[in-house]
Amino acid sequence: MKQLRILTACALFFGITAAQAQQVSYQEYDLPNGLHVILHQDNGAPVVTTSVMYHVGGKDRTQGRTGFAHFFEHLLFEGTKNIERGTWMKLVSSRGGNNNANTSQDRTYYYEVFPSNQLEFGLWMESERMLHPVIDQVGVDTQNEVVKEEKRLRMDNSPYGQILQVVGENLFKVHPYKDPNIGYMEDLDAATLEEFIAYKEKYYGPNNAVLVVAGDIDIDKTKSMIEQYFGPVPTGQNVVRDFPVEEPITEEVRAKAYDPNIQIPATIVAYRTPGFASREAYVLDMISTYLSDGKTSKLYKKMVDEQKQALQIGAFNLGQEDYGMYLIFGLPVGENTLETLNTEIEEEIAAVRNTLISENDYQKILNKFENNFVNANSNVEGIAGSLATYYMLYGDTSLINKQIDIYRSITREEIQQVAQQYLQPNQRVVIDYLPQSAKQ
Amino acid sequence: MRKQTILSLAFLLLGATSIATAQINRSEQPQSGPVPSIQLEDPQTFTLKNGLTVMLVENHKLPRVSVQLILDNPPVLEGDKAGVSSLFSSMMGNGTTNRSKDTFNEEVDFMGASINFGASSASASGLSKYFDRLVELMADAVKNPLLTQAEFEKEQEKIITGIKSEEKDVKAIARRLESAVAYGTDHPNGEFVTETTVKNNTLADVTSFYQTQFVPNKGYLIVIGDIDVAAAKKTISKQFGDWKKSSATAATWKKPEASGNTAIHFVDMPNAVQSEVTVQNLVDLPMKSPDYLSALLANNILGGSASARLFMNLREDKAFTYGSYSSLGSSKYTPARFRAYASVRNAVTDSAAVELLSEIDRMAQEPVSQDELAMAKAEYVGNFVMALENPATVANYAFRIASEGLPKDFYKTYLSRINSVTPEEVQAAARKYFTADNAQVVVAGKGRDVLPALEKMTFKGQPLTVNYYTPLAEKAEQPNYDAAIPEGLSADQVIADYIEAVGGRALLESVSSLRLLAEGTVQGMTINVEITRTQGQQFKQKMSLMGNVMSEQVFNGESGYVSMQGQKIPMQDKDIVQVRQEAMPFPELGMSGATLEGVEDVNGQKAYKVKLSANKWAYYSVDNGLKLKEVTAVDAGGQTMESAIEFGDYEIFQGILMPFTLKQQVGPQAIDLKIKEVYLNEALTPASFQ
Repeated sequence: MKQLRILTACALFFGITAAQAQQVSYQEYDLPNGLHVILHQDNGAPVVTTSVMYHVGGKDRTQGRTGFAHFFEHLLFEGTKNIERGTWMKLVSSRGGNNNANTSQDRTYYYEVFPSNQLEFGLWMESERMLHPVIDQVGVDTQNEVVKEEKRLRMDNSPYGQILQVVGENLFKVHPYKDPNIGYMEDLDAATLEEFIAYKEKYYGPNNAVLVVAGDIDIDKTKSMIEQYFGPVPTGQNVVRDFPVEEPITEEVRAKAYDPNIQIPATIVAYRTPGFASREAYVLDMISTYLSDGKTSKLYKKMVDEQKQALQIGAFNLGQEDYGMYLIFGLPVGENTLETLNTEIEEEIAAVRNTLISENDYQKILNKFENNFVNANSNVEGIAGSLATYYMLYGDTSLINKQIDIYRSITREEIQQVAQQYLQPNQRVVIDYLPQSAKQ
Repeated sequence: MRKQTILSLAFLLLGATSIATAQINRSEQPQSGPVPSIQLEDPQTFTLKNGLTVMLVENHKLPRVSVQLILDNPPVLEGDKAGVSSLFSSMMGNGTTNRSKDTFNEEVDFMGASINFGASSASASGLSKYFDRLVELMADAVKNPLLTQAEFEKEQEKIITGIKSEEKDVKAIARRLESAVAYGTDHPNGEFVTETTVKNNTLADVTSFYQTQFVPNKGYLIVIGDIDVAAAKKTISKQFGDWKKSSATAATWKKPEASGNTAIHFVDMPNAVQSEVTVQNLVDLPMKSPDYLSALLANNILGGSASARLFMNLREDKAFTYGSYSSLGSSKYTPARFRAYASVRNAVTDSAAVELLSEIDRMAQEPVSQDELAMAKAEYVGNFVMALENPATVANYAFRIASEGLPKDFYKTYLSRINSVTPEEVQAAARKYFTADNAQVVVAGKGRDVLPALEKMTFKGQPLTVNYYTPLAEKAEQPNYDAAIPEGLSADQVIADYIEAVGGRALLESVSSLRLLAEGTVQGMTINVEITRTQGQQFKQKMSLMGNVMSEQVFNGESGYVSMQGQKIPMQDKDIVQVRQEAMPFPELGMSGATLEGVEDVNGQKAYKVKLSANKWAYYSVDNGLKLKEVTAVDAGGQTMESAIEFGDYEIFQGILMPFTLKQQVGPQAIDLKIKEVYLNEALTPASFQ
């Protein structure tokens, strides 16, 4: 049961590399207040997505205020000048739509999906949120409890739920990626109303955001509505990002972590890699597919199916804006120590460093990516998210149509070279992730 | 810097201008635009000679295709072989009699495709350029599965591990009791899988399940995506045309009995920190019922979302729970269930049950407001409209029309029918399908905390009967938590009686050392535990998984360490206090200062509960004095967790009555250990404890 849950969690992270085969048409422009707008028209079904991505995430915070961006995201559901507290969700339902938001270390994303006759309503809601959200003590107190419940549910009380935090704190020493995106309990409690108001002023201006409208729309009418609803939002401060640079890891790091919710220990082998917009990150995506995606991938077939050393094994290239985290995760079975798993894992990675992968395997990887590409943009909700992400974090909206070409252009030689450059034993962090009971 | 300020000022001005020209009033919600027109197409449908109905939906938006197989069989009563369908579905898709497992997997993987199986379903998806190959592989796996003894044993082990890991899972046991109470355990929907029923199966049972149940007679094959209908028709006919029809076995089970007056059905879960409370009744509600949509709307208003009545009452108003919802099932083969439910903290268990019943009753007694109905309709309309983006939707609709016997225009008229439902119709449906007066209130919770109030609970002024069950849904006696401690009985006496019962003080004191070798399984792996204790308060516990030492605790009477994965951590003072309690062969011999806390039930036996130390309790049988259980409160990362060991199978060994099974429980996880070997009075040197 537990294994399945981990698999799902990791699969979610893995999803970010995909793109599509179908040509997605779009147009983009800036409003005078700096809001970037991307429109995608597809009148195939009467559905529209309105979404806003703000270039602010967990890493944008001061010392002692971890989890601030996510906490702030919760506050922006509390209400606005014209939307009463506690009615946001009901309003969305009453127009037949649904909505949500999520926060990563790099950005915060809000979206609604509606039948297309509610386009104006969706624009009104998101512009209300951008123009004059109500941020007050009542909201801060309520959401503090809710966020802490969320942390308990998803991390503290969840088997293997602390893995990302442990990897982060071991791969990073100075960059804010070292702290968990959800934040520490004491930081969540310490956050004040004044700080949240200042945070809004600093990061939530239109010039730090992208609005995407995708689906069954008329371009001219939509542009005119956007001007009406978002035009009046005043420009915000200029956001300057100046995060400390990490020194390279040149000596293997060994660490231990304990989880009260597990019975079977896990090993994690992690590497710090370049940010997700870099070419190397694409190569690493291919390497993780090679190692563990599918029943015939190298690590799975060897360690799970044939040698029965692992209950589960997975390689994940977790992309982030400034640095990525490449990690391999394994659960031992049989007469195997974590060290055995580490040895077997290193053997396969060494093979990628030392020899070219076979033509057949190379083609298999490309086939898998092509399949992912085709499936990635199968609905307007997904397309809206991809457009916002490519524009804001990759700096190139057109990647939505071109990303597959990058993978296709990567050669077997380049795969070997990137493995040599980033996946050396002296660059890795090896974590024994153990049951809490093992501590006694 | 200055430049930027000027720039932003300019923007501000621009912004101000646009406010002036805009015709919008932000304080008013924008009106909805005209309702989008909707077009529902029909899939191409044909039936193969073996009975398989094929539905094709051509959609070229993306170069991909999905193939879905649904066998519309009635549910099967698996009886003393419950679990056979799970075994079967997990063994499917691992090669065919024509292709080894490796060949099969390699082909699927190379295409970047996937093929999966359920007990009465299968699916495949991939790029449309591989359509023919994908269908061929799927059909091969459907028609000629490779069902081997090795895979059978592997899956059997997995299911048993899964069952064990759920033994103390309050939610899982609550769901099981709900089904059992609603349908009876002799009904496919009420029976459940146990370790015994899984073990009753052989490979032959799985093969027979395949032959009798996995047949095309009443199957639907739905193909959606970038296909050419004519070519796809040919491919499907070729690959699935020779799938052999079988004489379908008639389903045999009796119709579940209707519930009498509202009663409580309770299972005691001593480890529960929350109660699972469900109010349920059976409904005869196939989709073709004329009031189906009215019933859906009634359920939506009662408990369909986080803005529905149950959520607003039990969470927002009363703060009993993180969430409370209701659900309304539909089935053409058996009665389905209506459920209203919440997980609530122990103290409000009875109040939550009353609120659930009251909200259900209110649906029947009063018409819903126009606003509530409008919002519920908006949700259905919105979901219906937005679902059209997915090409699978039209296929799903066609499948339902065919399999449920719905009018051909069921979905074409869906929106207008939803919109025409009146508050009176919603009330009539609620009255018919939600029966607060003949409901089953199923509660899984900590009886000691929740039963006193639950047993006194009334609804509409009437007390409710309480039925008691074991976790295996068998009828049980009313638990008695108030059994008085006999006059004058002390903890010391209970302990003395225990010592007497197992062999007497003199005999126990003559044991200089005790070494136990125990074995069990955890998640399918063998676990070995070796425990050594001596009169000199030396202690050693070694735990191995599959022969591999996982942890070791060693204490020499003065100091000790814990070793994990080769790393040694010295014991702190507080660890030493703890380990000293455990170090003697029979710790009770040196026990003083214990207190007798009461009489409690341990797996159906009455036991004296004795507090041995600040964080440790033991339970001694009232009947025979034997120790039945120990509970230790463990501090794990700031939270207190209870870890329990139950003792069973007492047998005489060298004059001493010793338990030969140990059941270790930490959180929801249980490990059964069998004592394999016992050594008394061995000559152990101090070196053994270094």
